[in-house]
Amino acid sequence: MELIGYTCSYTPVELLAATGFKPYRLLHGNVGFITLGEKSVRVDACPLVKSNLGYIMANQKKFAAVVGSTGCDMARRMFDVLKELTNIPVYLFNNPRTDKPTIFYDEIDWLAGELECLSNKKINSEILGTEIDRWENARNRYRRLDQKRASNPSLISTADFHRAVMNYHKGEIGSAININENQSDKPRIYLLGSSIPYEANQILELLELDLAIVGDFNCGISRFLNINIKEKSLNGIKVAYYNQPPCIFKRPNQPFYEFIGTQIKELECKGIIAWTLDYCDSYEFELKRIGRIFELPVLRIRSDLSFQNLSQLKTRIGAFAEMLA
Amino acid sequence: MKSTWFEVARPQKIDLNDWSQHFRLVRDEQIKEFNYYHNPEWGIYLSPPATFMVYGARELKRLKFDNSLASLRMWGFVFNESERLFRAKQMGKRVIATMGDLGTVPVIIMAFPNCIPFYPECIWWTPFFKESTVLLDTATELGIPEAACFSKATLAAFHKKAYFPKPDLIFASTGASCDDYSCIMQLVNDLGYEMLWLEIPFRRHNDEQYPDRFEEYLISEYERVWNKMVELTVINDKTGLIPSIKKANRLRSLAERIKQLTYEAPITPLPALELMTIEFGNLYGYADLDEWLDIVEMINETVAKRVEKGIGVLKQNAIPIAWITPSADPLLLNLVEDCGLRIVGTEYVINQALVPIEENVEPFRALARSFMKASLIGSTQERIKRIIEGVKNERIKGVLVTNMLGCSHCAMETRLIEKMLSKVPVLSIDVPVPFGITEQLRTRIAAFAETLR
Repeated sequence: MELIGYTCSYTPVELLAATGFKPYRLLHGNVGFITLGEKSVRVDACPLVKSNLGYIMANQKKFAAVVGSTGCDMARRMFDVLKELTNIPVYLFNNPRTDKPTIFYDEIDWLAGELECLSNKKINSEILGTEIDRWENARNRYRRLDQKRASNPSLISTADFHRAVMNYHKGEIGSAININENQSDKPRIYLLGSSIPYEANQILELLELDLAIVGDFNCGISRFLNINIKEKSLNGIKVAYYNQPPCIFKRPNQPFYEFIGTQIKELECKGIIAWTLDYCDSYEFELKRIGRIFELPVLRIRSDLSFQNLSQLKTRIGAFAEMLA
Repeated sequence: MKSTWFEVARPQKIDLNDWSQHFRLVRDEQIKEFNYYHNPEWGIYLSPPATFMVYGARELKRLKFDNSLASLRMWGFVFNESERLFRAKQMGKRVIATMGDLGTVPVIIMAFPNCIPFYPECIWWTPFFKESTVLLDTATELGIPEAACFSKATLAAFHKKAYFPKPDLIFASTGASCDDYSCIMQLVNDLGYEMLWLEIPFRRHNDEQYPDRFEEYLISEYERVWNKMVELTVINDKTGLIPSIKKANRLRSLAERIKQLTYEAPITPLPALELMTIEFGNLYGYADLDEWLDIVEMINETVAKRVEKGIGVLKQNAIPIAWITPSADPLLLNLVEDCGLRIVGTEYVINQALVPIEENVEPFRALARSFMKASLIGSTQERIKRIIEGVKNERIKGVLVTNMLGCSHCAMETRLIEKMLSKVPVLSIDVPVPFGITEQLRTRIAAFAETLR
């Protein structure tokens, strides 16, 4: 057992790492795991959740624990399934939907206590300080890359960036990052929506045949770069994670739109790719608003993570790029 | 006296035509006796169900209803709600939309004179009663995916501005509950309706003794509701909470008594459809709590008499089952009984509206404690605890789970529920769109009943 799995961008990796286990973001999107997951949940569950479930079931021995938040309802309820079907300790903290920092802070305190029991280790400020430094350094390295991606013209592709950040999400933050610069003058677009799983890199490659993704708001790509811990303590962790640009499921979600709007303007994007996974309520319900609020062309891509429609998708992406050019 | 027919008639389920015939036996004085908002002039609502069919509730012609006067009164009152809400607004009452928490915020609203709480999400039955997809199609046009909870009709109703008056205030509860409705409320907000968002807490698994802070979170939210109401009404008298809680408790205990009498009687004294309507009445008394209490008292008397006489509406050999997650289509409840089953346990996601509210502690704390028993804020295992107990002591022989395609908690909970209840047959069905019940679905329910038999 070396991994401590987690499912949500609001989960402080520094705290997980302080247990001595490696934080591993559950971001799987593999048809085989989906099939496995479908033995325990209905077919109309989120494909990412099904796939994560399948991955955990198939790799139970790797996990010392799994940590999640109440953020997405389906991801939250995955913990009930894990509790029933596995012996893996699970910890679910309340991530309030409305602006209630006290609830979040109390829950992180609770989580820290539980993780101390799990690891039989006192998580003191010294350990936390070390982990904050390690993870902040890693984020800084990825921030430099992200700047190249965001530059105009863009110097690295999001597909390459995604391959690199997988190491961060899998807890391999010491790994070398080697990305060759590859200038793109293709139409600049912003990607937002549901998570981009590890296995969905091919979608990014497909998109970047005709487009340049210069910014994103997706779990699995660059959202973790919004975490900037200023005070090396548990309190610093709480403040940084709570005050990150809000997820779309926060209520009301106007601040989410304001953040994305600013990003799109700064990055000089000409269009938006709205990527949604089947049954992802948080984004699917908002697609019309996304188009209306940003007043930019939006290409909607819905996926069950089977990637069976790549040819058709290629044509749609090509047509979208033609429209933007 | 003509109305004695109701006293001598054998309990049974009857259709619309039968009701229209029997309604002739209702005396004029009787019709005038029942009225909403205590107003005999324009508050009369007793009418044959056919009236509502004529006004668009087309499914009524396919439904069967209990033949008691109490049930007739109940249906007249329930179907009259839209008129009642508009009338409330006309006469200067404040109409307050409470969304998402299902059962607690209305108790606070009712502590204020002339304030009427209602749940816009209860409009989810409307497309089925009307056998119309207009509201659902409109919701899709407004951006809601087709595969989503039928409560999406709420967004369309807000958009159309014809199903209920514009609320004076909207309280929207979100948090550790289902995603669908949280997203729907966000879209209602986007239509231009201002709302006060409230946080629903999370009840952690195995957390029977949850920390005090969970109650404190809720109490601070209820304080916000109170302050907003004070701002609206310019009334600030918290003593009003005590009678409001007492009334809610009276209703809750009556509904519980009716359910227990019905579940435990050798012959089912009241059909499942009426029983579900009573259970959901606990949420807000269908916008006139006083009148609803009176109706439920009357139903309670009817049920008690039937039990005493050993008579009822179903055959004695009807097989007892439990029902998990409510059906938006009322016809399914009829169908299940037609197949020889009877409902003796439910988990309709509104446990928070069924439990008694403590009367010996500070009112907001009492409300918080009752809400901490909510169905959807904890684990699936806790949610179906009572059903598992019923299976263990062999009171429940099978379980029916109704789902909605794409609904966040249905997708994740149903397989788990099937596993947790593996000692009895479990039938899990997707509620089809209005007028969508097929022969195939009927056959599945019949086969389920056959398996149980």
